[in-house]
Amino acid sequence: MISVQEADFHVQALYESLCVADKTGAVAMFVGRVRDFSDDPAQSSFMLEHYPGMTEHNLAKIVEQARQRWTLLDVKVVHRVGKLSVDDQIVFVGVSSAHRAEAFAACDYIMDYLKSRAAFWKKEITPEKEEWVEAKASDEDSLKRWK
Amino acid sequence: MASLKIVFFASLRESMQCEELEKSFDAPLTVRQLKEQLASELNQPSLLTEKVKAAIDFDFARDEDLIDISTVKEVAFFPPVTGG
Repeated sequence: MISVQEADFHVQALYESLCVADKTGAVAMFVGRVRDFSDDPAQSSFMLEHYPGMTEHNLAKIVEQARQRWTLLDVKVVHRVGKLSVDDQIVFVGVSSAHRAEAFAACDYIMDYLKSRAAFWKKEITPEKEEWVEAKASDEDSLKRWK
Repeated sequence: MASLKIVFFASLRESMQCEELEKSFDAPLTVRQLKEQLASELNQPSLLTEKVKAAIDFDFARDEDLIDISTVKEVAFFPPVTGG
């Protein structure tokens, strides 16, 4: 399941939906959150923009690549868009498998590729200014681990 | 003659003050050629900077990739992604 949505998500519900009766031995999950990026967290927010259609297309490709690389039971990716405040959840990646090594690796792989290959853009907003977040070279470098 | 939708996102959309436009072409062209044409027609040299990324029908594309105007519906230009 891939979902790009404005609404918040419930980790417990996503966790339960990842579990396949009698088969799931491991579930690895990652949650990305908005951390404070200014001197005034109460007044700070993010605007998350995406490219409808391309975002879902690329996330589906990333998940498919992970499924070809490891034996997985289920994968769920939820990414929020729109206005987000400090301490809000942004992204969820959850992977279930029979054994932990596959779940850990696939979750890490999907997040790495999501950072550099999914069409999202963040803008930081404070009372003083609005600024688009610059991409980090370290995110692109991180993909070399999987070549 | 085939029509192509061209869309812009994030900081590029703001700096260009343009969300999308429709253009007709009578021959295939590369991503780089399209960038050069738009940069000149719209007076937007920022389109030619290395940081501007492109996608052809939702797949990331490089400057040298050919846009087959008989099949391609949409080309997008945007800055490096910052999700997650």
